[in-house]
Amino acid sequence: MVQDMEQLYQQRLKRYVTAMRNGKPDMVPIRPFVAEFTAKYAGYTCQQVCQDYEIAFDAARKCAAAFDWDAVVANMVYGWMGFAQALDLKYYAVPGVHVAPTNAFQYREPSEEDAWMQPEDYDEFASDLMGYLWNKWLPRVAKEVNGPDGPATYRNNVALVKSGMGMLNYFHAFGTQAARLRKESGTVSAISGILKAPFDILADKFRGYIGLTMDLFERPEKVKKACEALMPHLLWMALSGADPDKNVPIAIWMHRGCVPFVNHDQFRDLYWATLKPIIEEIWRRGHQTLFYAEGKWGAHLQSFRELPAGSIIYHCDQDDIFQVHRELHDKFAISGGGVPNYMLQIGKPQQIREYVKKVIEGVAKDGGYIMDASAIVQDDAKTENIQAMTDAAREYGQY
Amino acid sequence: MDIPVTTKTQPGECIPWEQKLKELPPIQGDTDLMKRVWQDVDAMAYVYIWHVVLSF
Repeated sequence: MVQDMEQLYQQRLKRYVTAMRNGKPDMVPIRPFVAEFTAKYAGYTCQQVCQDYEIAFDAARKCAAAFDWDAVVANMVYGWMGFAQALDLKYYAVPGVHVAPTNAFQYREPSEEDAWMQPEDYDEFASDLMGYLWNKWLPRVAKEVNGPDGPATYRNNVALVKSGMGMLNYFHAFGTQAARLRKESGTVSAISGILKAPFDILADKFRGYIGLTMDLFERPEKVKKACEALMPHLLWMALSGADPDKNVPIAIWMHRGCVPFVNHDQFRDLYWATLKPIIEEIWRRGHQTLFYAEGKWGAHLQSFRELPAGSIIYHCDQDDIFQVHRELHDKFAISGGGVPNYMLQIGKPQQIREYVKKVIEGVAKDGGYIMDASAIVQDDAKTENIQAMTDAAREYGQY
Repeated sequence: MDIPVTTKTQPGECIPWEQKLKELPPIQGDTDLMKRVWQDVDAMAYVYIWHVVLSF
């Protein structure tokens, strides 16, 4: 049995990697980014999978064993609330506490006045980034942590130790989870390593989207310097978590750096100017990057073409996947766009099958395509529709 | 790394070894060993804070 699973794993790994290298495998690989759907399928609440990562791992394994998928994320419900609680991170709405136990966790963005980073902090951020993170940012986002001027209280000290040890435990558990996915269902862990664009992380965790939008007009040079300060650190972090075998990609979660959130000049001079060199360096070191392009990035496809062939896999969310294929396929593999998420929620299985057929016929005939829904699949998706997507991909995805 | 570092500390470090070395009495044994282990453990604090920023 173990031998069979290992053979299955090797087949799937080859299929997945071949497609990501823009080649033609034996069939279209299926790699759904299933998050809270796994909880629904396995009979857990959102609170359970967020609070106890072993429950989340169990849900991911149950789905991997039940569906004929080539690769999955070991835990797509990534935000472990045990860690968030150890620090009492203010930007989370925790299932079972701030939102119902049946709701997914949420990120809360503060008002412009209460942003985690204030406009006058830019110079310190850009020159002494580590000092800024430890001394100002962490105490602002974590209720349990005091700043350097505050007392080294019992609660402060305990929070730092237990969150550090907790993080270590959580990340170590991913190794066991990947081994169990391989052994128990022959499933590949789809990604390894995390990257965010400097511009995105500046908005997400420091200035807030509204604050950063104002900064683009009031202090654009400071925004540029802050993004440049982030670049080598984000690269280091991406590489620190990368797959040592260089099979699966580092994932970048792309948020609000595209038109119409910013204009074309801002995209070119800030977002792209400070992201492109990171991707090029990652590629120079032998790793692909999965561009998880949340929303619509169709206005920037020609910019992405500036990257070396094969350096990214472009994940299509709400863009026209046929346009994406026309503009990018000669250089990069494409994933996603297989079924819009709303259709997984309210559509019928036959409708799903027809959509998958159309996508595969339109974009996958030469290989270089990985089947997935448009966006991360949450608990609104119907199981029969996920099954229909899987079955149709297998039926129409044979080469 | 080809991307220029504009911040006070290098990627992967919170407290540079050179700074810590000045605080220690003269090293009698293997300085390189001490440097490597200091940097390895220091990098864990670096990874911690960046994962709070990026992953949580």
